Amino acid sequence: MIRYLIIDDEPLARDELNYLMQGEADFECVGMAGNAIEALALVNKLKPDLIFLDIQMPKITGLELAAMLDEVHLPRIVFVTAFDEFAVKAFEEKAFDYILKPIASTRLHQTLQRLRQDCSPKTISFNTTESLNVLPCYFQQTIRLIALNEVEYVLSDHCGIHVITAAGQSHTQLTLKTLEQKTPLLRCHRQYLIAEHAIKEIQLHDNGNADIITPSGHKVPVSRRYLKSIKQHFGLQ
Amino acid sequence: MALIISLIQQLSVFLVIAYLFSKTPIFRPLVSISVSLPHKVVIYFVFSGFCIMGTYFGLEVQDAIANTRAVGAVLGGLLGGPVVGFLVGLTGGIHRYSLGGFTDLACMISTTLEGLMGGLLHLYLVKKRNIEGLFSPWLAFFITLAAEAVQMGVILLIAKPFDQALALVTLIAPPMLIANALGAALFMHMIRDQKAMFDKFSSAFSAKAMLIADRTVGIAAKGLNQASAEKIANILLEETKVGAVAVTDKQRVLAFTGIGHQHHVVGRAICSGLTLEAINNNKVVFADGINIPYRCSIDKNCKLGSAIVIPLRIGDGEVVGTIKLYEPKHKLFLNINKTLGEGIAKLLSSQILFGQFLEQKRLLTESELKLIHAQINPHFLFNALNTISAVTRSDPDKARDLLLNLSHFFRKNLKRSADITSLDEELKHVESYLTIERARFGDRLTVEIDIPDTYRSLILPCFTLQPIIENAIKHGTSHLLEAGVIKVSIQPHTTHLCLCVTDNAGLYQATKVRDEESGLGSDIVDKRIKSQFGPDYGLTIECEPNVTTRVNIRLPLPTQTSTQASAKELNP
Repeated sequence: MIRYLIIDDEPLARDELNYLMQGEADFECVGMAGNAIEALALVNKLKPDLIFLDIQMPKITGLELAAMLDEVHLPRIVFVTAFDEFAVKAFEEKAFDYILKPIASTRLHQTLQRLRQDCSPKTISFNTTESLNVLPCYFQQTIRLIALNEVEYVLSDHCGIHVITAAGQSHTQLTLKTLEQKTPLLRCHRQYLIAEHAIKEIQLHDNGNADIITPSGHKVPVSRRYLKSIKQHFGLQ
Repeated sequence: MALIISLIQQLSVFLVIAYLFSKTPIFRPLVSISVSLPHKVVIYFVFSGFCIMGTYFGLEVQDAIANTRAVGAVLGGLLGGPVVGFLVGLTGGIHRYSLGGFTDLACMISTTLEGLMGGLLHLYLVKKRNIEGLFSPWLAFFITLAAEAVQMGVILLIAKPFDQALALVTLIAPPMLIANALGAALFMHMIRDQKAMFDKFSSAFSAKAMLIADRTVGIAAKGLNQASAEKIANILLEETKVGAVAVTDKQRVLAFTGIGHQHHVVGRAICSGLTLEAINNNKVVFADGINIPYRCSIDKNCKLGSAIVIPLRIGDGEVVGTIKLYEPKHKLFLNINKTLGEGIAKLLSSQILFGQFLEQKRLLTESELKLIHAQINPHFLFNALNTISAVTRSDPDKARDLLLNLSHFFRKNLKRSADITSLDEELKHVESYLTIERARFGDRLTVEIDIPDTYRSLILPCFTLQPIIENAIKHGTSHLLEAGVIKVSIQPHTTHLCLCVTDNAGLYQATKVRDEESGLGSDIVDKRIKSQFGPDYGLTIECEPNVTTRVNIRLPLPTQTSTQASAKELNP
């Protein structure tokens, strides 16, 4: 059984694809999302094998979303788009497939046939070169795109991933691992990533740990394990 | 023989005065042949003067005067024509008559005749179109010789007693014939030299002007910017060899080259009073450094001492900048450079105008192309088809309705872009578009249109409202995760109507950078309204980031004439 998500901001477009998929007994729709932020949360939660992804969506496009997915649980991506010739061309090699709207069922069946043959989980080197410039975050009830250069550090706790800027704290669906891979943020602790520009000073402690003080006065712990690499990054050792 | 030498001596003094006179500006009209009255008056006075002077420089001989009066009379006629010649001769003659002597009457008549002879020859040569011949010294020599011979004849005929007259003529005929003919020839030579010099001067001037024109061709057509201004300034400096050249637009110095370029920094705001005067009053301002002092407004040690500021005007006299020529303190500002500067400014002005014309044409073509692109907006089309495809199953009637709206929308899009339309038609177009968009976005899109029926006959270029609403969706509400709300309203003002489109996205700034080339930009809508109604109308956009974007479409108040015009254009 191949579990899939439909991600499209137009309700009728989701209906249409859902309808076309209904005859496929070996495919199971596990959810639908109307925007990339909802989709990111669903992908992280449900870990589907396949996503049908629209390209033009509010705030974060399908292409941007693809680059935000955690590579460990990377599903197969089939782009579904009305007309995005250039973007599709750029992603042709990396995406599993793309389908044009309105969707022809014969064309969809070809894609499904290929998926049946090749849907074993595997890490694709797709989009490792893509780096993120903005981080989609929730701030209370609103969604905000935080520019990477505003980020001081990122913290992971039992509530999720928090992005801290001089202005305050937001919540993101991106995983620490994705952030570490696709941004220049440095790992300084099992639960923390720090931005290089946010390191105002590093206070060393006797036990081998350290604390980083950020420009806005936050204290970020540095564990013994990562202190070395931080020091190396700055050529201190 | 002694008389010949004395008379030639007198003639020399006469010629020296003539030479000095030839260097004055009064002399300038003499070198050209013209029928204008002021020109003739100048010739009359000048040659009457010479005529009288000729009498004074004469030598008293046997109760008569051996003189060089004929030079003035004949040349006056030769250069001024029969009437002037006659009058010059008459004036000189009356003056001679007033001095008395037994030949007074004979001399008066003969001098008048001499002037008339010169004048008749003038008439003859002008008729023959041999203007150059008029300036021939040889011709002057022979006509004067002939005129003097006539004079001698007149004396013999009129002066009484005849014996005395005969004795006088025998004595004065050879010296007067030779001296006057020689004098006239030399005088004419002087005039010709002067003329040649002026000709050479003006041809050098024209050549220089042509050269500058040739070198600057096309530079200004790309508009007045630092790069073009610098090129122009360098060319002007090289060709005119003035101390320094500056080019400014209305606000700042675009180029400065030559003396004082260290402190006349390119890019700084204009601070010279002269330049501001030239810009504000739209006139040439000239500080020659003598009567009107020039003082550098930046550095009081500046070596520049005089300047001319010439405004660059386009179209209906709108000033777009200035050209400034400077000379250092120790150098006089040449008139030729002043004239040259003015000429070049005119040339550059028309080049700028031409450039603007080309630019406008280019923009028009570009907007037409963008319009065509917008007319077949593929993203919208395929999404719409996909939506309809989904609706077909659940609600065939709605699907049919959507298809009709889609075809109406595209049919309207294929109308010629130059057309104007009524607000009512435009709203129908918008409605077709929105029917599809509402189906696509479901409850994520609400559009409220609040336009009273009284405004439905308003005319406006087609593709005014629809692209603005499309932008509000495409670049605005479609980027919202929450529901998008677009409001369309109309507000009358005293001078205009304001058609307003507001959205609740407030993404105008952000999307402008991100999505410049897609869709029919608001700038094109703006240009089309301006080209239809004039510069007072068009778009203004207010954006409160992440809250709202408000597009105000300023349109003229409906008038009787415009409604009629629209009716005509809509129903040809």
